[in-house]
Amino acid sequence: MDMHSFINFFLLPGIVQGSIYALGAIGITLVFAIMRYGHFAHGDLATFGAFIALAFTTVLGLSPYAALPLAVLATGVFAVALDRLFYAHLRAMPKIITTIASFGVALMLRSFVQVVWGVNTTSYTRGITRPENWFGIRVKSHEIVTLLVAIALVVALHLFLTRNKWGKAMRAMSDNPELALFSGVDNGKVIALTWIIAGGLCAASGFFLGLNTELKSLMGWNILLPTFAAAILGGVGRIEGAIVGGLIVGIAEELSVLVIPGEYKVMSAFGILLLVLLFRPTGLFRGKVL
Amino acid sequence: MEWITVLNYPVYLAIFICIYGCLAIGLNIQWGYAGLFNAGVAGFFAIGAYASAILTSPWAEGRLGGFDLPFPVGLVGAMLLAGLLAWPIGKICLRFRSDYLAIVTIGVAEGIRLVARSEEWLTNSARGISAIPRPFGDLPYAKAQLVYLGITALILLVAYVLVQRQAVSPWGRMMRAIRDNESAAQAMGKDVPYRRLEAFILGSALMGLAGALYVHLARTITPDAIDPMLITFLVWIMVILGGAGNNRGVLLGAIIVWVIWSTSEIVTDQLPSEYALKAKYGRMFLIGLLLQLVLRFRPEGILPEKLRKESREERPMGEQASATQATGNIIN
Amino acid sequence: MTALLTMKNLRGGYGDSDILFDLSIEVAKGEIVAIVGPNGAGKSTAMKSIFGLLDIRAGSIAIGETDITGWAPNRIVKAGICYVPQVKNIFSEMTVHENFEMGAFLRKGDYSAALDRVYNLFPDLRTKQKATAGRLSGGQRQMVAMGRALMLDPQVLLLDEPTAGLSPKYMEQIFQISRDVRDSGVAILLVEQHAKQALAFADRGYVLAAGRNRHEGPASELLADRHIAEMFLGG
Ligand SMILES: Nc1ncnc2c1ncn2[C@@H]1O[C@H](COP(=O)(O)OP(=O)(O)OP(=O)(O)O)[C@@H](O)[C@H]1O
Ligand SMILES: [Mg+2]
Repeated sequence: MDMHSFINFFLLPGIVQGSIYALGAIGITLVFAIMRYGHFAHGDLATFGAFIALAFTTVLGLSPYAALPLAVLATGVFAVALDRLFYAHLRAMPKIITTIASFGVALMLRSFVQVVWGVNTTSYTRGITRPENWFGIRVKSHEIVTLLVAIALVVALHLFLTRNKWGKAMRAMSDNPELALFSGVDNGKVIALTWIIAGGLCAASGFFLGLNTELKSLMGWNILLPTFAAAILGGVGRIEGAIVGGLIVGIAEELSVLVIPGEYKVMSAFGILLLVLLFRPTGLFRGKVL
Repeated sequence: MEWITVLNYPVYLAIFICIYGCLAIGLNIQWGYAGLFNAGVAGFFAIGAYASAILTSPWAEGRLGGFDLPFPVGLVGAMLLAGLLAWPIGKICLRFRSDYLAIVTIGVAEGIRLVARSEEWLTNSARGISAIPRPFGDLPYAKAQLVYLGITALILLVAYVLVQRQAVSPWGRMMRAIRDNESAAQAMGKDVPYRRLEAFILGSALMGLAGALYVHLARTITPDAIDPMLITFLVWIMVILGGAGNNRGVLLGAIIVWVIWSTSEIVTDQLPSEYALKAKYGRMFLIGLLLQLVLRFRPEGILPEKLRKESREERPMGEQASATQATGNIIN
Repeated sequence: MTALLTMKNLRGGYGDSDILFDLSIEVAKGEIVAIVGPNGAGKSTAMKSIFGLLDIRAGSIAIGETDITGWAPNRIVKAGICYVPQVKNIFSEMTVHENFEMGAFLRKGDYSAALDRVYNLFPDLRTKQKATAGRLSGGQRQMVAMGRALMLDPQVLLLDEPTAGLSPKYMEQIFQISRDVRDSGVAILLVEQHAKQALAFADRGYVLAAGRNRHEGPASELLADRHIAEMFLGG
């Protein structure tokens, strides 16, 4: 295989898919680190975000890219509402109960999408976009947008977490929740903030998944496993880990077809997850192990 | 013969309740007694279904099988295979908190679905396996159903009695001690990972058994016959609604949830077809909502675990666990 | 001297079981009060009770004239009490500087003066501002922990075993800094394993056993009491 086909057929699609996983994995890792439970509705929340963006394009007649920020915002607020409605009152119980609740929320979100938008696949734009050819590297415009927006979101999040008072409070809550409380941090606010960010990123990941492939009611559920694998591979609570983990999982999936039958491509994330749990449960960046 | 056909629907309903009862007891061993979150119930169910189908079905072109073995062998094979699959999964995941087990079992269920779909030599892919025998399947339909209900009910009863006996034995007390306060149990010299693994394998084997019972009822199986999320979820809501940790409770949960689930289908099937499909998803939504309501208003379920309280009084250590929990909640 | 922090006839514990029975402690402004006692006596629990981490079943806690019994921790912080727990008392994945910033979380506006004061108290840390707190030595971590708690200019500082596991050199340093803090008008309540050293440097002391006051008085008197020395201070 020559360099160009490696880049065009494996590396580039892997990076695009990997950024989509990364956006979801950041949310999972934040929720894991700050609220201390695995959030299983994350994939279906991404579906929800993708379809909300679709609604903005069909109802308001916006272009998909204009719909994206609105969908990010709406899904962020929606995630806060989900927490208030279904998770907040479970905080006194063992954390795993909330994980179970999130499993139910996943089902509700998915059914909601199925009732409102049906089960058929659809897309933001009709027609095929031709890839542009840059010195033999073929890349589609929406792939470039995916990468650029993902990078922008990650940089913005990084600045927020390292420069802003509330961003630092989020990190403090993840690091040592009791001490954060003793320092006067209102954990209700931190939790709401976490959901806005996780929900918003989730919508972005769903949107880009829909943009690069297609929209369907199971799209988010199908990326739940790779997204979780990315978060755990990176190390729970590690933003940079979620990004690297997402990219590794995305690229590994594309490369996996060289060694395993294509039907099992989606199982590469599962394999990575098992290997991480076996050999390095703290992940690449030494995250938490719950 | 008139009266017996009137019974067709209730009998059909009851058979499914027995099958789901098996699943619920299996999950109760895992979640109720050992606190393990298995989110891939459907996977273990499917493994059992395929195992028994392959073992008992007659020879067919192009796929593994033709063993033509008797029904009980199919059941045992289903349990063994499901248990065998659970072993490595448990080995890897049970060292961690159950969130990890949950995501891995989701992967397991997905993997099994892929295998069923892609491995023609094993499962005949999308065309599936058919002509699966059923004990006394030669009887007229209504009678055969009734007999099969008897068989599934008997198997469920045996499973219930055996599991219940374990639950009230020292084994059950130990499992609950581990669940409620892992470090204290460890300090008392219990082999926590081993015990958890035991519960996980046992529960999975029962789920495999349920799969086998299902496949001999349906007499045919295809990869899409098993909706992973739906089955797993129904079993979870049965266990939580009925009362995790109480076998009688989870059986009650199985009855309530299954009756609601399938009778609501009769209602929505009356709708014009364009609404009927939406209504199906609407029902799923309501099942998801039901779980939230139970967790909110009756987290211990309809028939709560009785031993939980007594065992606390026996063991002052148990109270510390709940106290840490209580202080934990101000914080998180 | 009127008391700044008053715990009166406190009874409480975790969940259903009581750990403290009828405990009373007072600390005045500009005073260091040491709580000593055997392991498991409930010393840490007494501290946590002030901070609202306990189910209090009887008795009261007040700061000045304000009854703070049953308040949530973040309200108690605002009332002027800062707490350095026995364990997990720093943000170990954050930098030293960020630890102090978190300490100042409730402050509005500029807090560079407080920051400067803390760095003056712990000059060692000035060069380590960007270091990850968890990677520092034990003594420096303890300083980060105290510094974080001092960022709010508390009226009352609660220190749970600030010298546990530290070398004598660091121990002396921590004690010295505590005196400086006291002299700036802060009331300090501390729990100590090193009972003798603690009583040697504190103004007053309480001996706690099984969740009850056993002895109390000026630290020097407790230290001089042969009976107490035999029973509680290791001979
Ligand atoms: N979070 C908790 N939940 C339940 N019981 C606890 C908790 N923390 C402490 N205890 C119990 O309360 C009692 C007093 O503990 P405490 O930590 O207050 O003792 P201490 O005097 O600080 O001892 P040490 O010198 O070891 O720090 C002990 O019996 C302990 O087991
Ligand atoms: Mg202590």
